Amino acid sequence: MASASTQKKVPTTVRFYRFRNRLKEKCHGLGGGAGGISPEALAAAEAALSKMAEDYPDWVMGLIGKLADKHGRCVDTPENRHEFFEEIHAIAHDMKGQGGTFGYPLITDFAESLYNFTGSKGEISDRMVELVKAHIDAMRAVIRGRVKGDGGEIGAELRRSLDEAIAKYKSKN
Amino acid sequence: MAEYDLERLSVLVVDDSLFLRSLLINSLRILGVGTVNAVEHGGEAIEFLRQVKQDPMKVGVQQVDIVLSNWQMSPVDGMMLLRFIRRHKDSPDRFVPFIMITAHSAPKRVVEARELGVTEFMTKPFTINALGEKLITIIENPRQFVHTRDYFGPDRRRRKLPIEFPERRKLTDKSPGVEIVRG
Repeated sequence: MASASTQKKVPTTVRFYRFRNRLKEKCHGLGGGAGGISPEALAAAEAALSKMAEDYPDWVMGLIGKLADKHGRCVDTPENRHEFFEEIHAIAHDMKGQGGTFGYPLITDFAESLYNFTGSKGEISDRMVELVKAHIDAMRAVIRGRVKGDGGEIGAELRRSLDEAIAKYKSKN
Repeated sequence: MAEYDLERLSVLVVDDSLFLRSLLINSLRILGVGTVNAVEHGGEAIEFLRQVKQDPMKVGVQQVDIVLSNWQMSPVDGMMLLRFIRRHKDSPDRFVPFIMITAHSAPKRVVEARELGVTEFMTKPFTINALGEKLITIIENPRQFVHTRDYFGPDRRRRKLPIEFPERRKLTDKSPGVEIVRG
């Protein structure tokens, strides 16, 4: 008869970790019972979020202004284009991350397009610089017109003209 | 229902958009979270977490209780950060709850993150209620962690639901090869 000590130990295949709920102890003490977040705090946070969402167009306009500034420098000092393109690339990255969250998916799309073609390390032609301008104009039109969501007819038109500018650029390269 | 006191809670926010980052920091603070640290991408988060492990006094944070991270970031995205947290030896806490913020709600992407051990998802555009609910779920109903040959993370079965197909889990707590770790 095999005793416990001579039985072959089965290797562990599954380990379940069951810990005391320390997070709840931290936030709710040891008293037990269900907890929650105060409705007042939720309402205050919601109000702050709406306020920030209201500020979003202004904030993006500020970034578009920065892009326009970098674009101007690309025109004025072609020898420094790489440096400015890097900055444009970084701003576009920031913009593409949140447009959708505040109801402006077109900003996200246009910023993404700008981000994608400003990342290359190759030569930066005048046409590429013009294409940056086309993106800036399209984004500016979105914010000025408060073109939310897909933007319906206006959105489609903006998209079309930007696509045309991109196609033109590609055909000449 | 009693209200939480989140003053002792420490949350790490990881987002590369300045606007969203400040929005998350702001929202968490208003909800009462005592410590909110924020970094710009997964690489900085990894660096921060290493410091928390090696020299908590220096960063002024003893522990990170919840990680709230965007998915799409460069150079190190949310998935790489999650992998580090769950699997790397330098991770300060392999069990830390991880909320992934994402615009990718495609099932394939969700499954991908789930297999890496994500705790909760928050889809963009998010609301304060969604953020509040995720925090409550994490605090109120933590899941056991499961470690198998090919998975480490919170139990992927969230609830005890009656299942209409044959039970595929063959092991119970008492089966040979099953180890229960309590702590």
